Amino acid sequence: MSTTTKNMNKYWRIGEPMVWLSGASLAITLLTAIILLAVIMINGLGVFWPAELQRLELQDGNQVIGRLIKSEPTADGSALRRQYKIANRDLYGLDFRWIDEDQIVSQEVPRNLLVLERIEHGDFYGELKSLNLNGTTRTASLPDLTKALIEVETEIRGLRELEGKLKDASYLMEQLRLKKLKFDYKGVPANDPKQVALSQEKAILDEEFGHLIDIQTRQNARAREDTAMFTDASGREKEIVLADIFQVYAPNSMGLGDKIAFYSAKLLELFVGQPRESNTEGGLFPAIFGTVMLIFVMSLFSFPLGVIAAIYLREYAKEGIVVRIVRIAVNNLAGIPSIVYGIFGLGFFVYGIGHSIDSFFFPERLPTPTFGTGGLLWASLTLALLTVPVVIVSTEEALGAIPREMREGSYALGSTKFQTLVRILLPMASPGIMTGLILAMARAAGEVAPLMITGVVKLAPALPIDGNFPFFHLDRKFMHLGFHIYDIGFQSPNVEAAKPMVFVTTLLLVLIVLLMSSVAIRLRNKMKKRYTFGTF
Amino acid sequence: MNPAFLKKVKRNDRIARWVITVGGMAIIFSVIFILILIAEVSLPLFLSPDKDLHASFQLEGRAAEEKILAMGVDEYLETGYRLDQAGRVNFFNIADGSAIDSLQLVSDTGSRRLITAQTYGRLNHMLVWDDGSVTIERVKFFPFFDEADDNQRSIRHELEHRAIFAPPSYGLPVKTMARVNDEGRQVRVDLFRSGIFQITIIEEEESLFGAGERVQESHQLEIDSVGEVTAMTLSTDGIKLYLGTSKGEILRWDLSEIDHPVLEETTQAFLDQREITALNMVFGDVSLIVGDQQGGVSTWFPVRDADVGWKLTQIHQLHGHAHAVQDVQPSPHDKSVLSIAADGINVSHMTSERFLVNIANGAEKIEAFAQSTRGNGIITLSDHGTVQSWKLDIPHPEVSLKTLFGKVWYEGYPEPTWAWQSSAGTDDYEPKLSLTPLIFGTLKGTFYAMLFAVPLAIFGAIYTSQFARPKFKGIIKPAVEVMAAIPTVIIGFLAALWLAPLIERSLGSMFLSLILVPAALMLSIALWQGARKLSPLKQVERGYEFLVIAPVIVLAVAIAAILGPGLEDWLFAGDLKQWLFNETGTRYDPRNCIIIAFAMGFAVIPIIFTISEDSLSNVPPSLKAASLALGASRWQTVWRVILPSASPGIFAGTMIGFGRAVGETMIVLMATGNTAIMDLSIFNGMRPLSANIAVEIPEAPVDGSLYRTLFLSAVILFIMTFIVNTVAEIVRQRLRAKYGRF
Amino acid sequence: MTAVINENPIIQVNNLKFFYPGDARALHGIDLSFPEKNVTALIGPSGCGKSTLLRCLNRMNDLIDGCRVEGEITLEGENIYGKNTDIIELRRRVGMVFQKSNPFPKSIYENVIYGLRIAGEKDKKLFDERVEKSLKAAALWDEVKDRLQESALGLSGGQMQRLCIARAIAVNPKVILMDEPCSALDPKSTARVEETIKDLRDDFTIIIVTHNMQQAARVSDHTAFLFEGNLIEYGLTDQLFVKPQVKQTEDYITGRFG
Repeated sequence: MSTTTKNMNKYWRIGEPMVWLSGASLAITLLTAIILLAVIMINGLGVFWPAELQRLELQDGNQVIGRLIKSEPTADGSALRRQYKIANRDLYGLDFRWIDEDQIVSQEVPRNLLVLERIEHGDFYGELKSLNLNGTTRTASLPDLTKALIEVETEIRGLRELEGKLKDASYLMEQLRLKKLKFDYKGVPANDPKQVALSQEKAILDEEFGHLIDIQTRQNARAREDTAMFTDASGREKEIVLADIFQVYAPNSMGLGDKIAFYSAKLLELFVGQPRESNTEGGLFPAIFGTVMLIFVMSLFSFPLGVIAAIYLREYAKEGIVVRIVRIAVNNLAGIPSIVYGIFGLGFFVYGIGHSIDSFFFPERLPTPTFGTGGLLWASLTLALLTVPVVIVSTEEALGAIPREMREGSYALGSTKFQTLVRILLPMASPGIMTGLILAMARAAGEVAPLMITGVVKLAPALPIDGNFPFFHLDRKFMHLGFHIYDIGFQSPNVEAAKPMVFVTTLLLVLIVLLMSSVAIRLRNKMKKRYTFGTF
Repeated sequence: MNPAFLKKVKRNDRIARWVITVGGMAIIFSVIFILILIAEVSLPLFLSPDKDLHASFQLEGRAAEEKILAMGVDEYLETGYRLDQAGRVNFFNIADGSAIDSLQLVSDTGSRRLITAQTYGRLNHMLVWDDGSVTIERVKFFPFFDEADDNQRSIRHELEHRAIFAPPSYGLPVKTMARVNDEGRQVRVDLFRSGIFQITIIEEEESLFGAGERVQESHQLEIDSVGEVTAMTLSTDGIKLYLGTSKGEILRWDLSEIDHPVLEETTQAFLDQREITALNMVFGDVSLIVGDQQGGVSTWFPVRDADVGWKLTQIHQLHGHAHAVQDVQPSPHDKSVLSIAADGINVSHMTSERFLVNIANGAEKIEAFAQSTRGNGIITLSDHGTVQSWKLDIPHPEVSLKTLFGKVWYEGYPEPTWAWQSSAGTDDYEPKLSLTPLIFGTLKGTFYAMLFAVPLAIFGAIYTSQFARPKFKGIIKPAVEVMAAIPTVIIGFLAALWLAPLIERSLGSMFLSLILVPAALMLSIALWQGARKLSPLKQVERGYEFLVIAPVIVLAVAIAAILGPGLEDWLFAGDLKQWLFNETGTRYDPRNCIIIAFAMGFAVIPIIFTISEDSLSNVPPSLKAASLALGASRWQTVWRVILPSASPGIFAGTMIGFGRAVGETMIVLMATGNTAIMDLSIFNGMRPLSANIAVEIPEAPVDGSLYRTLFLSAVILFIMTFIVNTVAEIVRQRLRAKYGRF
Repeated sequence: MTAVINENPIIQVNNLKFFYPGDARALHGIDLSFPEKNVTALIGPSGCGKSTLLRCLNRMNDLIDGCRVEGEITLEGENIYGKNTDIIELRRRVGMVFQKSNPFPKSIYENVIYGLRIAGEKDKKLFDERVEKSLKAAALWDEVKDRLQESALGLSGGQMQRLCIARAIAVNPKVILMDEPCSALDPKSTARVEETIKDLRDDFTIIIVTHNMQQAARVSDHTAFLFEGNLIEYGLTDQLFVKPQVKQTEDYITGRFG
C-alpha cells in the first residue's frame, strides 16, 4: 500500500472531510443569504433608473420601442431572446414582449424618444408630434411640452386643493349623518331644537358641497382641454390629455448627472408620494406611514407590558415551580405561530371587545361596525401580544445578567426595592430592554399574516392621523409595507407590471428590518461584553 | 433622614410592588388566556344539540272534524299556520295558539276539498284536490312596522299561487307528486289504482317571436317492479324521480327530456326486501333519503361504477327508529334529515351522520309537523290536537370528529375521502371541513423544509463554533441572526415569483446540481488533500475551509446550469416535467415542495443555527482540550465529545425550528398553490393549516361552522407548536442549569 | 460560650439562631456584643456562619426567601428584629461593604451620594461636602478628586473597594459591616484598605469578617471566633491571638485546620 493511499485513508478516518463538509454547509447557508439579498438589490435598485429606450426594427418589418429588461436562452437553448418593456398598455394590451434576438434587424437609441408617466394605463413610450393648447394645434418639442405641463400643473394643484376641501366637507357630512343617527337612536324628536340645528347645518353643508362639485367639474373640464399628440413605434397616433401626464422625460438624451437627479427625485417620490395604478406605481407613503404607526402603537402596549411582566418575573415573583412554568410558557409563546395570534386578535379584539364597544358607544351606527371590524388599534394590539414575549424574554435576560452585588449594594445603603429598580437595575438593563424592543419592532415591521385578518387593507381611504377631530383614528384600516408586497405581488391583475414595485417595496422593507435587527444585535453583544466586568 | 420623605419612598415602594405584581401576573395570565379563548371559540363545534319545549297548547277555533294536512311556521318562530282539508290556512300565534287570521284556498277547478298536501322546500305546499287537480302554493311572510300602530312589528301573510295541474283523465290517482321549477317547468307524476303510472311535463317553449308557448306531454308507463310502489319523490326541479316499492326496490327516473322520461335503473336497495315506506330528497336535490319498514333511515345517491355506469348506492346510514318510518323530510336550509315514526321525530345530519334530537309528545302521536326555514324550530301537532312548539339549538350539525378527521363520502364523490372545500356560492352546498389534508399539508411542508434546513444549520453551526476562526465567528453569528429577521413575506414573495419560475425553467439543472455539488465537494476535498502536502497551504487552511469551498459550490452550480438543458434533451426528450408526467403520472405544480423546502428551510435555518451554535459554544473548553490532548483529531473531538454534550441544545433548536415551520404562514400562502391535496410527491403543492386560516377567515361568517373550524385549526397549530416548544424549552433550561449560562 | 464585653456595646446579640430555607440551621444561638467605635473581627473557617451573622446585623438576609431568624439583636438598645423596625432606617444606620466591590455603573460622585439621593436629599452643597469628606475618610480623595464625574468602573480593584467604603460612610452610619473586603484584592490594595479601616475606627463601629487571621490581628480591637455556627471564643484581639482560651481557637489560629 502506497503512503499516499495510507495518508488518504487516515485523512478520511480522522474525519477531516467532515470538517470540510460542515464548512460547505456553512458556505451554502451564507451563499443562499447572499443570493437572496443580491436578487432583491439587483431587482430593486434598478427600478427607477432611467434606462435607455431602444428602437428596434424586426424582420417582419415591425418597429418596437422598448426598454431592455433581460435576455436569456430560448426554450431550446439554441439562441437568445430578450424581454422588452414596451409600455403603451392602452394600445397593445401588454406591457412586456419577448423578442428573439435573430428577429432583430437593427437597433438604435434615438434621442427624441420620450417616456410619459401617466395617471392611468402605465407608461407611454413614443415621440412627441404636436401640442394642442387652447384649441390651437402646433408642432412642438420637449421643452414646449414641459412648459405646457408646468402650466397645467398649476391648474391641477388647484384641483387638488379642491379635492381636499371636498374630502373635508364629506367628512363633516358623514359626522353630521352619524350625529343624526345618534339623535334618532336616542329618540330625539324631529322638532327638537338640536335636530333642527342639525338639519340646518346639513343644508348649509349640502349647498357648499354642491357648489364645490360644480367648481370641480368646471375646472376639471378646463384642465382637460389641453392635449398633446404622440406617436408610437409604428407611427400610430395617440392623443393624451396633458392633465393625465404625471411626468415626462427623454432618457436617451439625459446625461449621467440628469439620470442621478432623476433617480433621486424618484426615490423621494417613493417615500412621500401616493400610490397609483392599484399600487403598482407611485409612492409608498401611506404604507410607510401605516407601518410606522403600527409599530408605534404596538410599542406603546408591548413595551410597558413586557417590561412590567419581566420585572415581576425576575424581581418580585418568588422563584419556584410556578415561576419556572410561567417562564417556560412565556418562552413558548414566542414560538406560537403568528397566524394563531391573528385569529385570536380577530376573535377577541375585533369580534369580542370591538363589538362590545360598538354596542355600548356607537349603537346607532350598527350594523355598520366602528370598532367591530379590523383596524389599526386591533392590529397593533395583536402584534403587541405577539411581541410581548420577545420583550419579556430579553428584559428578563438583561435583569438576570445584572450581578447580585448591585442589588445588595443598593439595599445596604437603605434603598427600597423600587428605588433599586429605578435607579440601578433599569438603567443597567436598558440596552437589553432596547434590544428586545427593537427586535419586537423589526418583527412587527415584517409580520403580515396576523395583520391580514385584523385590519390591513390594500388601499386605505384615509391615514390613521389627520386634521379631523380626534386626530388619531385608531379604528381606521391602514396600509402596511409587508402586506403591500403580498398584495401587489399576488393580488394585482398585472403581476408582471407590478414586479418592479414589489421589488422596490421589498428592498425598502429588507433595509428597514435588517437595519433594526443589526442595531439590536450589536446592542446585545455590547451588553454581554459590559457585564463581564464583574468577574475580574 | 427626612421622615416624610422616607414615608413617601416607602409608599411608592408599596404601590410599585402592588402594581408590578398585579400587572405582571395579569399580563402573563392574559397572554396564557389566548389559548383558552381560541379553544372556547371552537368548542361549540362539539356541543350537543339542545331542544327546548317552548309552548304547548290546544289549537283554538279548530273545527274538530277537519283533518289537518300540513303545517308551517315562519323563520322567527312567531307565527304558525295549519292547512286543513277544507283548504283553509289558519295562522296562529306560536306562543299561545291564539288565532291570527285565515286565508281560503280554492282550486282552479272550483274544488274546495283537499285529499292530501305535501310540504317541500321553503313553505311550498303541493295540494291534491278531491277532483284530482293539483296546485302548488307558497306561503309568504312579510315582517313590517305598522306606522298606524305605534311602529309595532307585525307580519303580513300572503299566498303565492305557483302552479296548476288539471285533473288527470284516469280518475283519482293513488299517489301524486308535482313540482314546478323557477323557469315554470311543471312536472306531475300520478300513480293510479289500475297500476297505470303517468308522467306529465309542461314546459314554456320560446317560439321564434319570443312569445312563450306552453307545451304539455303526458306519458303512460308500466312499472316493472316486483313489489308495488309504496313511496315516491320528485326533486324540487322536477328532474329526478324516485320510486320505492314494497319489496325494497328503488327505481330511478330521469325526467329532463320532456318527450322521453328515462328509467335509469332499478336497484334492489335492501336485500331483505323490506318495504320502502318513505322517500324524499336532501336539500340540494342530490341525495335521496330512504325510510323503511324497519325504521331505518339512509341516504343514497348514484355513484359512477366502471362496469354498470351510475349506480344508486347507500352513502350514509342515519339514526333509525324502532318502528316503521312514516315520512322523511329534508331540512330546508342544510343537509339535515327529519324522519318521523311512531316514536317521534328524529333529526339527523347527513354528512356527519350525527343524530341530533328526537322530538316526541309523550304518549300522543304526532300527526303533522313543520320546521322553520332556518332549522331552529319545529312545531308538531298530535292526534289529541296538542300543538307543541320546539326551539332547537343545533349549532353545528355538520361537524363531528369524523367529518373533521375521518374519511367522509361527500355528495358527488366516487368514494369516501378527506376533503377541504369550505364553501361554494350556493346555499345547498355540502361543506367539506376535513382538517386531515391540512394537517397533512402542514407536516409535508415542514418535513421537506426540515430536510433541507437541519443538516445545513447543524453542520454550519458545528463549523462556526468549532472550526472557524474567531474573527469569522464574530461576523457569521450576527449575520445569521440578522438573517432570522428577514420578513417571511419577502422570502415567500421571492420563492413564488423568482425561485419558482427559475426552477420550473431549469428543473434538470437543479437535479443535476444535487448530484454535481456533492461530487464536486468530494473531488475538491480529495484534491486538496493531495495539494496541501506540497505547500505551506496546510497552515493557512484551518478555519478558512468554508471560504475555500464556496467557489467550488458556485462553480458546480454554474456547471449544472449550463449542462442541465442539454442533459434534459438527452435523457428526457427535452422536457423533464413532461417525462415525469408520462412515466410516473406525477403532475408538476410550479409552486411545489421543492420551493417550500428552499424557502421555509431558509426561514428556519437561522433559528436552528443560532440555538445549536450557542449550545455548541457553551460546551466547556476544558472538555475539548482534554480530548485534543488525548490525540483525537478535531473532528473526532467534535463528534465524540462536543456533540454529545451539546446535543440537547441542538435538539431544542431543531424543535423550535420545527415549531416555526409548522406555523409559518406567508411563505406557504404565497409559494404552495394552496390546493388541499394529499400527495407526498415533492412536485406537488399542499395547503397547510396556517395558510388555510389566512385564506378562509376573511370569508368566514362569525360563529359559523367554518369560523369555528378555523379556530379549531388554530388550536391544533397552537398545540402542535406548544408541545415542541415546551419540550425544547425544558431541554434548554436543563442545559442552562448544567452549564450555568444561556 | 458567652462573652460579654461591657465596654459600651452598640450592638447586642442575644441567643441568635438562623435557619436557611429548608430549616438548615446556620447559627446555633449566638450571644455577642459589639463595642462602639471599635473594630471587631469575625473569624472562622468557611461555612462557620460568620458572614451569616454579619448579614443578620443589617437584615441583609431578609433578601433570601424562606430564611428564619430567632433570638434578638439590639442596636442601641432597640431590637432590630422587632415588629416596628424600619429596615430602610436600619440599613442606613448599619452600612455594609461587600466581598466583591460593587460600585454602581455611575460616576464616582454619584456613587458616593447614592445613599443621600435615595433618602431624598437634594442639596448640592451638602453633596459636594459629603463627597469630599467621605472620599477623604476612605483615603481615596487624592486619587480621584480630578475625575469625580468619570465612571466608577474605571477604577482599580482597591480603589473600587475604597469607593464602596466611601459610599457606605457617606450616609453617616453608626456601624459599618465589612464582609471580607480584601479577599479579592492584591496585597498593596489590601494594605491601603486596612489603613483606611484603622482610620475609620475613631468615628464608626466596624465589624469585619475576614478569612485572613493576620488581617484580623492587624486591624481589629476585638475578635470573635466562630465554628460551625457557634461562637467559640470572643475577646480582645491581642489576648485571643496570643493566649486563646479554647483548644479549637488555638487549633484554628495555628493553622491546624480551616
